[in-house]
Amino acid sequence: MRYYARKLGFYLVALWAALTLNFFIPRMMPGNPVDTLMAKLQQRGGTVDPAARRSYELLLGADTGEPLIIQYFAYLGNMLRGDLGVSVSVFPAEVSSVIGQALPWTLVLVGLATLLSFALGIVLGAVVGWRRGSWLDSLVPATTVLAAVPYFWLALILVAVFATALGWFPLQGGYDVVLTPGWNTGFLGSAVYHGMLPALTIVLSSVGGWLLGMRNMMVSAMSEDYVLTARAKGLRTTRVMTRYAARNAVLPSLAGFAISLGFVVSGSIITEQVFSYPGIGSKLLQGVQNNDYALMQGIFLVITVAVLGANLVVDLLYGFIDPRTRVET
Amino acid sequence: MTNPVPLSTPAEEPAAAPPEGSGTRARPHGAWRALLPSRSPKLITGLILVTAIGLLGLFGPMFAGDPDAISDASFQPPGEGALLGTTQTGQDVLAQLLHATRGSLQIGLLVGVMATVLSALFGILGGYFGGVVDESFSLLSNVMLVIPGLPLVIVIAGFVPAADRGWWTIAVVLAITGWAAASRVLRAQTLSLRSRDYVAAARVAGEKPWRIVSVEILPNLLPLLASQFVFAVIAAILAEAGLSFLGLGASNSETLGTMLYYAQNGFALQREAWWWFVPPGLVIALFGCGLALINFAIDEIINPKLRNTRAGLAEGGVAAGAAGAPGEPAPGEPAERPAVLTISGLNVVYRTARPVHAVKDVSLTLGRGEILGLAGESGCGKTTLAYAVSRLHTPPAEISSGSVTFHDRDGRDIDLLALEGEELRGFRWAKLSLVFQGAMNSLNPVISIREQLADVLTTHRPGMSAEQRRARCAEVLRLVGVDPVRLDSFPHELSGGMRQRVMIAMAMLLDPQVMVMDEPTTALDVVVQRGILREILRLRGELGFAVVFITHDLPLLLELSDRIAVMKDGEVVEYGPAERLYRAPEHPYTRMLLDSFPSLTGARGAFLRDGAAARHDGRTALPGQHTHLSEGAPR
Amino acid sequence: MTTLEVRDLVKDYTLRSGLRRSTLRAADRVSFTLVPGRTVALVGESGSGKSTVARMIARLEKPSSGSITALGPDGRRVSGRAYRHHVQMVFQDPFASLNPFHTIEHHLIRPLRLHGRAAGRAQTRRLAGELLERVNLTPAADFARRRPHELSGGQRQRVAIARALAPGAQVVIADEPVSMLDVSIRLGVLNLLARLQREENLAVLYITHDLATARHFSDDILVMYRGRVVESGPADEVILSPRHPYTRLLASAAPDPEARGRSLEPMPAAAEPAGPLPPTGPGCRFRDRCPSAMPVCSRTPADHPVGPDHYAACWLHAESGRETSGAVAKAGPGGKAGAEDNSGAGRAG
Repeated sequence: MRYYARKLGFYLVALWAALTLNFFIPRMMPGNPVDTLMAKLQQRGGTVDPAARRSYELLLGADTGEPLIIQYFAYLGNMLRGDLGVSVSVFPAEVSSVIGQALPWTLVLVGLATLLSFALGIVLGAVVGWRRGSWLDSLVPATTVLAAVPYFWLALILVAVFATALGWFPLQGGYDVVLTPGWNTGFLGSAVYHGMLPALTIVLSSVGGWLLGMRNMMVSAMSEDYVLTARAKGLRTTRVMTRYAARNAVLPSLAGFAISLGFVVSGSIITEQVFSYPGIGSKLLQGVQNNDYALMQGIFLVITVAVLGANLVVDLLYGFIDPRTRVET
Repeated sequence: MTNPVPLSTPAEEPAAAPPEGSGTRARPHGAWRALLPSRSPKLITGLILVTAIGLLGLFGPMFAGDPDAISDASFQPPGEGALLGTTQTGQDVLAQLLHATRGSLQIGLLVGVMATVLSALFGILGGYFGGVVDESFSLLSNVMLVIPGLPLVIVIAGFVPAADRGWWTIAVVLAITGWAAASRVLRAQTLSLRSRDYVAAARVAGEKPWRIVSVEILPNLLPLLASQFVFAVIAAILAEAGLSFLGLGASNSETLGTMLYYAQNGFALQREAWWWFVPPGLVIALFGCGLALINFAIDEIINPKLRNTRAGLAEGGVAAGAAGAPGEPAPGEPAERPAVLTISGLNVVYRTARPVHAVKDVSLTLGRGEILGLAGESGCGKTTLAYAVSRLHTPPAEISSGSVTFHDRDGRDIDLLALEGEELRGFRWAKLSLVFQGAMNSLNPVISIREQLADVLTTHRPGMSAEQRRARCAEVLRLVGVDPVRLDSFPHELSGGMRQRVMIAMAMLLDPQVMVMDEPTTALDVVVQRGILREILRLRGELGFAVVFITHDLPLLLELSDRIAVMKDGEVVEYGPAERLYRAPEHPYTRMLLDSFPSLTGARGAFLRDGAAARHDGRTALPGQHTHLSEGAPR
Repeated sequence: MTTLEVRDLVKDYTLRSGLRRSTLRAADRVSFTLVPGRTVALVGESGSGKSTVARMIARLEKPSSGSITALGPDGRRVSGRAYRHHVQMVFQDPFASLNPFHTIEHHLIRPLRLHGRAAGRAQTRRLAGELLERVNLTPAADFARRRPHELSGGQRQRVAIARALAPGAQVVIADEPVSMLDVSIRLGVLNLLARLQREENLAVLYITHDLATARHFSDDILVMYRGRVVESGPADEVILSPRHPYTRLLASAAPDPEARGRSLEPMPAAAEPAGPLPPTGPGCRFRDRCPSAMPVCSRTPADHPVGPDHYAACWLHAESGRETSGAVAKAGPGGKAGAEDNSGAGRAG
């Protein structure tokens, strides 16, 4: 229990740190973002009601003469209520509803692609490590090339080959625009079809890292005495490989999930831009390009919460599969 | 082997430290040379890639034309005038590429340096000083680690007006968001180095903390720092490229990312102008790949286990014609008991660059129910012999000749060296089981004792019901004096002695006729060791299995075993009944080993603490054989 | 000519388990004196606290209470930084106690410089060479240039001994100096230590789990169990006629070729503790395994004399102790008498 409590506590601290960063970054930057925002809003014919202005001020900071600490707690209160302000670029939509529309796309695409690449990397890494010294070793340098390729460039290449030249997949978008989003086969099929290339990009770019990490841990695990014992016990090779070597080798990969996930998410955001995918990454850029600070910050928070959540899940899983973390000492 | 030997695993025996006292060659290694990675195709490829791209970035712009010069030749494919074609506005792609490479490398190196310095500062200082400093540093780095970096950078870049977004701003932001992972790695390594005895020794010598960190700890972190630096450079180049591709990069810089940004916004994709968008990404990929390859070589310094690529988990080889060699009569007195295992003329060679003959012409006979002691020091080949007999040796070890025959209870003779595949798997543990040196490591840390016991039964006795399996597991645990409630425990929940008992219980699961025990009690306290030895002797009496007991502890063997074989340099130098070996050792090495163990209760002996001490004192010792044995034994 | 007096040394470690805290007493009122020219062996199993005592003497750990005093040749107390001139340590693992990055020479030159034993490059090198020759690593110039990984375990341990002597130390703490070495070179290293002791009149604390070498290598033996010294006395006395049940158990467990066939006899006590005792608290620490445990054992036994200079902290010997207890307080090797039930706090917090 202590392990879980500690992990939960840590993620609460991390969440608080992210919220605090979010509060201070605009205040540390030059210029007065609230004014920029208001000007932009009026340009678009939006009305500046005092409540909206107050919410921006809390989010971005302004010379209201209010003590920082009061602003801070008011800001935290807004965040807890899920009040992320009003978007400028899609005025008068609430930031939360803009995010609500874009989030499922990203969650499904990045989530599935990450799971797939993690699973693929772990399995391939285990096999490559187990068969060390065979031709499979030549896979290793190949994966490093893949890992060093920028996500968006790979996306560009895939688009150039499979969309522009061969025409197998659509060039961009999340679904065929003639369809109305809904739970029908036509739309879902189109969404899957449009998601293929982005997903392939994410899987191809991230699988190398998982594979390599797993392979190295597998090699280390194979020289452990318990693997030797398992062989001496006359167990079947598959069992020695899975229950003894891979089972132990996968632990560091899980422990290092946080580091790798950061890269995957970062890469995915840019990938969305290449495909004009209607996900959160494209919205983040839209926010940046339109000085839509509220949207920008909201998205940063949502991404952070999602990443923290994913890491928490992995940590809990880790606690479940490594009995040593459950020690009560 | 002596207690927990830190350096070599048994399989690596011959590759261990150089021979002691040979004193022939003095190769003064430079301190830095020891840290350099060994030359390998990977490293060379990596170096070539990185150097080539580095030179391109460094000198290329001097020879290339003006990258911004606009011409009418829009979207020209590679050819005459422009080697890599032109852009939408007719700019020369090659000139752009060379300048952009320089820009990317600059920012990559700068961020790499800054991030590494930050991570070293937080990681090493936190790790060394510990306490509150460490806790706050590691909390900070862990929080930085889980907050996704690029979104944060994008948000920060979004707030900074494009005009203010300089080269340095971007570099600082990337460094601040990119140091955490490396810091965590460095901290862990520093923690481990800090607890090394040489750091304690430096403290005892009176060194100051800053000197301990910079002179004793830091040099040993260099490979790791190098690897983290390389990694930081890759990450920085990629992150900057992403940022620039989004149009959020430094406003005054030209990098590979900005090139791709213009390529996408200039409809290079739609116009299929591959010469515009392929080269920048390729340069990034090749440079990153080169750095990654260099990192591999560095990793192999940090983690030696990754080094020898030949040692897979393939079954150890048996050279053709090895099996069935004529059995020589075993030296020593004839066995009174019927034999259960006959080893004759066995040779094991490590086929490395310089082949090592680890086991030379060993012939031994193990009688049914007999305890055969195998004595010798580290590197004498006793563990290799045990592995070869159970066919657990892995390449490069190979049985070059000899035979190992198992005489089954039903009178059948099994040629162990001829067993392959399923036959070998089925033979293992059922007829011959093993107990390895470190019970700490012989049990799989992440699955329960029950499962580790039961999987032997599920594999070898598929007919058994779950209930029968449970009963059998409980039964063997009770046999070795462990409460069956421990079945649901995990290895880390048991004491060292208890774990070794569990291993012995596991070895008895299938009622084998031979148990090979490799230093089963070496890592344990004497009292615990005594308890386990009594258990082994009692069970041998009840169940009648034979034991090959391997240890360096000759007095223990003399007390325990029926016969003893003393090994040295791969050869059995003396083989006979324990009593005879003790009363009348024939070989000088046996005598020397016996002399090495002062008797607990016997006469105080003349060799310690008085004038005669010099006799054993290294180089001033007796001439000839004796000196050679006490100081010069290869290991 | 330095004497080291250790008095009532206590080391408590705080164990955290969730919000609960408990104290583990790793060393409990340990007292002894190291005299020039003599060796005291501290014997015990893993976890007995013997290495904790060594680390406290080497000032790698701070004692929770008690004192460690080094008295110089003039009988005056050595203080502050000078302490390290006098007291040095040889570590257990020669593979870990030398820095793989540095040459052998570096390991000797640093202490020579730090303690002002040599000035100038040439003199320092010459002294380092002499040190290497004294530990039989010749040719010294050759060894000085090498790196630890080019040396065998025995050679490394010789370097470690030379390093301990470099500051001119008069008290050497040898923490299991040979347990990681191959058997055939163990005696060589121990004999080297013995020769240097004779030559320099060193005071040596030899920490080991091996009763046989403890007996032959030292003058006095202290047996530790769970942080406490349970028996102390002249080496032969303690080993040949052990009086504390724990010492008897240890002695009977050691392998002995003379005792072939006795292995099946019952052991004088349980091989492993049946259950955990509270980490601190009054009472004999051995009573949960002791075959002769009595109700009185829940009170902490004092050191009862059982022979000339021979003491056992066991109620079995209380009778003989009561008669002479007045004399013991002064005569004991460390004045260890008078240990009553004040063994410190139990759980804190």
